[in-house]
Amino acid sequence: MSEYRRQILQMLSEKKITADEAERLIAAAEGTTVASAVNGSSSDAKLKPKYLRVQVDSEGNYGGEGPTKVNVRVPMQLLRAGVRLAGLIPAPALQRANDAMHEQGIPIDLTQIKPENLEELIEQLHDLSVDVDQNAYAAKVRVKVFCE
Amino acid sequence: MIPLVAVVSLNKENSRTFRLWVPIALIWLLLVPLVVLFSPLILIACLLCQVNPFRMFSVGWQILSALKDTKVELGRRTAAVSVCIL
Repeated sequence: MSEYRRQILQMLSEKKITADEAERLIAAAEGTTVASAVNGSSSDAKLKPKYLRVQVDSEGNYGGEGPTKVNVRVPMQLLRAGVRLAGLIPAPALQRANDAMHEQGIPIDLTQIKPENLEELIEQLHDLSVDVDQNAYAAKVRVKVFCE
Repeated sequence: MIPLVAVVSLNKENSRTFRLWVPIALIWLLLVPLVVLFSPLILIACLLCQVNPFRMFSVGWQILSALKDTKVELGRRTAAVSVCIL
């Protein structure tokens, strides 16, 4: 048994603290221990998000069934695999896709998206958070995109 | 490792949650003979599109593997559906 737990239990037996307080103290102490134990790896975990989350909250009453909530969790691995899949697309097809996007005013060059560059992109995604609030058809719609 | 099970949950107002465990592993098993059967066609298509077939299978496998932990939830006041790939 660890020292802090022994001290807390000692205080409990001496009725200096209640059972609830003891429980909270133990939980807090364990949380601190775990946090300090993983401190080295936490920075890596922070840098590399595992999931892309998309949440949509609509307060509209479509069909009289009340507000709609959508919650999507996509693993980052799928994003990586998707980029690798894009790497299989032949160059002429990519060029055509680029041209079509440029026509739509989207200045993205798909030929520049390579699996080698993806890790850097994913690391930067950790700080990404997109919030869109819109009042559409007299209903408030909120879209949130973030990584975790 | 590719996902082997998907959990589909249906939750209706004033009723119990219905949870269905779908063994996706069986779907993969059923797809294997089809892939083998159509492999010459796939190979020809890859050659026509100038795509390395081995790389294509590798990426396909990676996509299937990456599907693990995907979760989609759709909820309304009266009902909610959630699909989770494990």
